[in-house]
Amino acid sequence: MTERDEIDVIAGEYVLGTLDAAERAAASARRRNDPKLDAAIEAWERRLAPLAETVPPVAAAEGLRAKIEALTAVDAGPDAARIVVLERRAQRWRGVAIATSALAACLMLAIGVRELYLPQTAKTFVAVFQKDDASPAFLLTVDLDARMVSVRPVAAQPQAGKSYQLWIASDKIGPAPKSLGLIEASDASTQHTLGRWDRGIVERATFGISLEPAGGSPTGRPTGPAFHAKLIETR
Amino acid sequence: MQTRGEVPIIPTAGLTVIEPAPGGAARAIVVLMQRVAARDRQAFSALYAATSAKLYGIILRISRRRDVADELLQEVYVQIWERAGYYDANKGSPITWMVTIARNRALDEVRRKQAVSIEDAPEALDVASDEEIPLDRVERSQQLLRLRQCLDRLDSHRREAVLLAYREGMSREALGQRFARPPGTIKSWLRRSLLQLRDCLGQ
Repeated sequence: MTERDEIDVIAGEYVLGTLDAAERAAASARRRNDPKLDAAIEAWERRLAPLAETVPPVAAAEGLRAKIEALTAVDAGPDAARIVVLERRAQRWRGVAIATSALAACLMLAIGVRELYLPQTAKTFVAVFQKDDASPAFLLTVDLDARMVSVRPVAAQPQAGKSYQLWIASDKIGPAPKSLGLIEASDASTQHTLGRWDRGIVERATFGISLEPAGGSPTGRPTGPAFHAKLIETR
Repeated sequence: MQTRGEVPIIPTAGLTVIEPAPGGAARAIVVLMQRVAARDRQAFSALYAATSAKLYGIILRISRRRDVADELLQEVYVQIWERAGYYDANKGSPITWMVTIARNRALDEVRRKQAVSIEDAPEALDVASDEEIPLDRVERSQQLLRLRQCLDRLDSHRREAVLLAYREGMSREALGQRFARPPGTIKSWLRRSLLQLRDCLGQ
């Protein structure tokens, strides 16, 4: 077989779905750096798509629509009351973040000022994402009352053609992390809803941020380099 | 909003096919997609109304369990909402894009489960597997007609294997059991079928 045949067969089996879990993961990872494989997969998606017409539609359960609406019901703009309230006690992340860069220090200042004006009644949690001083840092805060998670890059330069994606993981949620959404802005908070999960689960969950192709993971689970953190209660 | 929240369902001899003809429903979905990309929640609702039965049908057929399919459908629509801005109309219709997301998610799920326990109790299926639409009774889209012509050139077992893989999400092992052939044979069937289909269909 020619190299092209080889690629077309892998791509074709990927789209048919006959690759096993390991082969599938390998193909999925490879296509990100292999434009030929990526194009071959897209070509098979188009070629075989008409078969989807032959699958009978089945009405989804009534309640699913409401759940999906809740899961995607993100703010229609920043809502001051929901913006993170950070407590001074969160020394751990503050130390790390200030050490990261001058930019971080500026952000800390901005957040610090905002604290003065916000009622500090909400039970909030904070987590820091950073592997080492050279890697990007994110501050994540969770407002359990508002059921919102807010994430703010501190020293994370978005790479061209890449997106940072936020995940939640817990054995209560399932074996695989669930996407909470993309981190859109490089200089402001992005908010996502936590609508689906109990407080108890969220409090103990692990949060992760991974670097994905633009638009987020093509597979629905983290595919790129990731870092993780747990929440620290701030009050 | 002018767009209707549903696409016409065309009954044909006991089966239903979502009309893929350009201009009508497909055009409406393109418009919905653009609005969803602009974070229009009403459009998202309409898109869900127009496409959820199709995607749910596909996911359910592959995952074979309603509880799993319910979970997957939620994830798929969250992904559609989040990634709508990256949908590229040059690469195919919005429906193809959504179907790809749905199939990928469902296949990832069933393959991952198989890696843990190969036998996911096929007896426990709550989806009858004999209700699929026979290929020769579907005759709507041009692309499907063309694909069908190319599939018809494959030997019947191999054609069936391709269909079972795409529509039912059958693994090589499952196909091997179905046709009483070792997985290696199935692998070479698929390889040959794919190359033949590619050459028949072109880009």
